[in-house]
Amino acid sequence: MLARSCLRSTRGVSAVRNGAVNTTKRAASSTSNAASPFALNVAGTVSTAMAIGSAAWYYHLYGPELHAMTPVEEGLHPTKYPWEHAKWNKTFDHQALRRGFQVYQEVCASCHSLSRVPYRALVGVTHTVDEAKAMAEANEYDSEPNDEGEIEKRPGKLSDYLPRPYKNDEAARAGNNGALPPDLSLMAKARHGGIDYIFNLLTGYPDEVPAGAVVPEGLNFNPYFPGTGIAMARVLYNELVEYEDGTPASTSQMAKDVTEFLNWSAEPEMDQRKKMGVKVITITLALFALSVWVKRYKWAAVKTRKLNYTPPSMGGKHTNGH
Amino acid sequence: MGFFSDLMEAVTPWAEVEAEAPAKEEEEEGVKDSRDEESEDKEEEEVEEEEEEEEMVDPKEKFEAECRESKGCSSYKHHFDECVERVTGKSDDGPKEDCVEEFFHLAHCANACAAPKVFAALK
Ligand code: HEC
Repeated sequence: MLARSCLRSTRGVSAVRNGAVNTTKRAASSTSNAASPFALNVAGTVSTAMAIGSAAWYYHLYGPELHAMTPVEEGLHPTKYPWEHAKWNKTFDHQALRRGFQVYQEVCASCHSLSRVPYRALVGVTHTVDEAKAMAEANEYDSEPNDEGEIEKRPGKLSDYLPRPYKNDEAARAGNNGALPPDLSLMAKARHGGIDYIFNLLTGYPDEVPAGAVVPEGLNFNPYFPGTGIAMARVLYNELVEYEDGTPASTSQMAKDVTEFLNWSAEPEMDQRKKMGVKVITITLALFALSVWVKRYKWAAVKTRKLNYTPPSMGGKHTNGH
Repeated sequence: MGFFSDLMEAVTPWAEVEAEAPAKEEEEEGVKDSRDEESEDKEEEEVEEEEEEEEMVDPKEKFEAECRESKGCSSYKHHFDECVERVTGKSDDGPKEDCVEEFFHLAHCANACAAPKVFAALK
């Protein structure tokens, strides 16, 4: 207010020189005679108090987190491990994938299916064509009905999917004390904690159940499984498989390999996806650089333009001539 | 494969992809066989050596055991041990208690401490 009235008084002086323009401005500003400073202060204080109050009320209503489950029911949160292949500029270690497939086939495949993986998907990832063909041929699949309508068995082909251990889910339950071993194809995406969860689950069976914990009949104690009672017993023990590349097959090595393999089965496009990302970044940067040069080129004429203003001469000697 | 040929492939999806195993294996077979025999001999020796060695120790178990005893996890270890003592020493008709939560805290601490060491030790 003070500043404005000061301005107005200086303007009043210049108004003498500039004439009509300033008189209209002065008339407009003098009509808006604002509320008293006290009323304004009250309004500001009250609105601030209301803002703070509503935030506090919101926090009171929704702030504190509710835990409907006990920590035991939630299960122990999986520990994060520094997976090399999970870094944005790293690929799967295909040697590890090959070992992981071996662990899946020799250990997990007797209970868990991997129904979304055909033999052809392994070609160039874990095995060569000939190896994959040989593995497929070791299984029998139903053929098309023959002339008599009978369905015969034929050896597997590259396009066949890995065979499931049980005919159907009911048979799987019957063979596992009523618990269904889930399909593992997408397991890395299907659980909170992803690959860390699988790795922790496989290696997390303690030697000794904590004192006082009750493990129901037929279940096993695993802290990472929600509720801690899991129908799958510990399956990995040191030197259970023999790796063809001579890697020492400790429990955690096998768990790491099979987990990385299950990450591949859930995300087989990962290597390509990351490569595509780098291509996108590279091409975008190249186009950006190009656009900077094009902009310079296009603007060159504008930027180097000189405006030369020659005022028309008024009065002086020229007018004298007319 | 060069970057530009890669880019070309990306925009020409009809490009060919080779999935066949390298063909040269057959030619080398004769040489390989003799090598195989040699390495088999060596393997046998190794196996004998291994049998003398003690049992394999899982790096995860080893590092986690160390971490449980470490200073960083000592308070969790203390609570857990205390709980175990309390629960195991208690008579059956008292209120039920277990040490699962204490176990969680200790395990979480030990696992986080061991995680980088375990992965450094694994392939
Ligand atoms: C003896 C049979 C058997 C073998 C072998 C086996 N599992 Fe299981 N697995 C089960 C059963 C049964 C369940 C269901 C557990 C439950 O729901 O309580 C299960 C569940 C799982 C789960 C899901 C846990 C969850 O959060 O629902 C994963 C992951 C898993 N197994 C991975 C593996 C891997 C990897 C292997 C191989 C190293 C393996 N299993 C070997 C029987 C087995």
